[in-house]
Amino acid sequence: MYQPTSMFSFFSSSFLRNALIGALATGLSACELVEFSPNDHRARADQKDLTAKNLARLTAAPLPPGDTLRFVFSGDSQRFYDDAQDLVRSVNQQPGIQFMLVSGDISDFGLGREMRWIDNELRKLKVPYLTVIGNHDHVANGREAYQEIFGPLNYSFVYADTKFVLIDTNSREYNFNGRVPDVPWLRGQLADLNGASRSVVISHVPPHDGDFDPTLRDAYAGTLRETPSLVFEMNGHRHDYGVGQPFNDGVTYVNSYAFEKRKYLVVTVFGDKQFRLKQVSF
Amino acid sequence: MAPTLLLAALLAAPATPATPLVSNGPTGSDSVTVSVAVPPVLGLAKSARRQRIGYLPRHVVLQTGGGVGMLSVGGGLSFAHRRLDLDALVGYVPARHAGTALTIASVKVKYAPWELPLGSSRLAFTPLAVGVYGSYTFGLRNTGEEGQYPDDYYWWSRTTRVGPVLGSSLSYALPDAPSGRARRLTGYYELATNDLYAISYYLNRRALSLPDITTLALGLKLEF
Repeated sequence: MYQPTSMFSFFSSSFLRNALIGALATGLSACELVEFSPNDHRARADQKDLTAKNLARLTAAPLPPGDTLRFVFSGDSQRFYDDAQDLVRSVNQQPGIQFMLVSGDISDFGLGREMRWIDNELRKLKVPYLTVIGNHDHVANGREAYQEIFGPLNYSFVYADTKFVLIDTNSREYNFNGRVPDVPWLRGQLADLNGASRSVVISHVPPHDGDFDPTLRDAYAGTLRETPSLVFEMNGHRHDYGVGQPFNDGVTYVNSYAFEKRKYLVVTVFGDKQFRLKQVSF
Repeated sequence: MAPTLLLAALLAAPATPATPLVSNGPTGSDSVTVSVAVPPVLGLAKSARRQRIGYLPRHVVLQTGGGVGMLSVGGGLSFAHRRLDLDALVGYVPARHAGTALTIASVKVKYAPWELPLGSSRLAFTPLAVGVYGSYTFGLRNTGEEGQYPDDYYWWSRTTRVGPVLGSSLSYALPDAPSGRARRLTGYYELATNDLYAISYYLNRRALSLPDITTLALGLKLEF
């Protein structure tokens, strides 16, 4: 007599608990499913502030003394999700890399869901990844989506005696308002390396591109020229690999492959400011 | 809570009186009409049929999600024995969810071939509705100013979205309106996507799944 009652109450309470957990889980996923607009940038808590989260992971794993700074450089993931899957598989087999840099255009249409789709793939990397905003990420309300999902448009971090400065150079998206890129901010970042001895600048649109504010080109390139610690400036936007000194001023510019090119670069930085670029196909 | 209140408000709204029947009878006292007694009767029958065709079930809708607003309100008409719905909605998304406050105007056509009465209850289930929608978003921050971009810099529209919808609904028959119109309250859901998500999926069928590109709308429809 007693037993069945207790069995029943056990079942009913566990059923109730499961139903509650189920409803909660459904509620959480339904939150994103019930999309208010494609420009709606709400995201799960673990897909917000990804820059800060990835930086925390990177900081937690400092480069052991004697090891070489090595990272993967790619860009323009845009709507190449199948390629992103394969890139992750390949990068995860690279020995001795510490992080991956994506040089902007995370999304194609500037939509939050696209940024989360890319993160769905890149979060499977064994190493943290860091991004800079690209022109496509500015489309419609993409800038706000990028800020919500990734983080600041201009930021910097120090890793392995190197200061990495990531800056928004998508001038055309601001209709060439004369304030983007923020050259005074860049100058300040490069004037104080926070104890590092080398510097690297990463942006999406290269200064020698038509989408870069022509009124700021000289000031920007000049700032880099006057930075003796600068290893190189790294860009995306052009979807193809390139390395050169377009201003013939001793400053090297490296352009990344887009995900669709199914290639990426493994960058090794050593010594004073020497570097090696290795192209990897996947 | 908010949808419940809005629903209550909708239910409380006075029903619009039905269009009065247009008299087709002889207007004067002309006796000539007597000699042609049959045609007016035919005319009346024809008029009644026209009235019935002219009787379009109409409704108001309240919806959340589906890519057309955190909250959308609208109205619509039904055709083809309530199988075909044509709705127009206006939706709102507050700035905290999208960067800027958005107003989204949308139109939707839905076709539901079957409606299954549930026993002798006042409930009826519509297992499948398919349709298309189009929307235009006002209030986006960066849609391109005059001369900002070279031609065809971005090939897609930032403001106009189109996409398919698919859903089901459950209706509850309310007491008829004083005018004799049937009143019904329907709860529905719709799964939808849009052109940009569909393209992304089409090009990446390995990395993306249909749930990835799906949006959900939940709504109430009041026929009055």
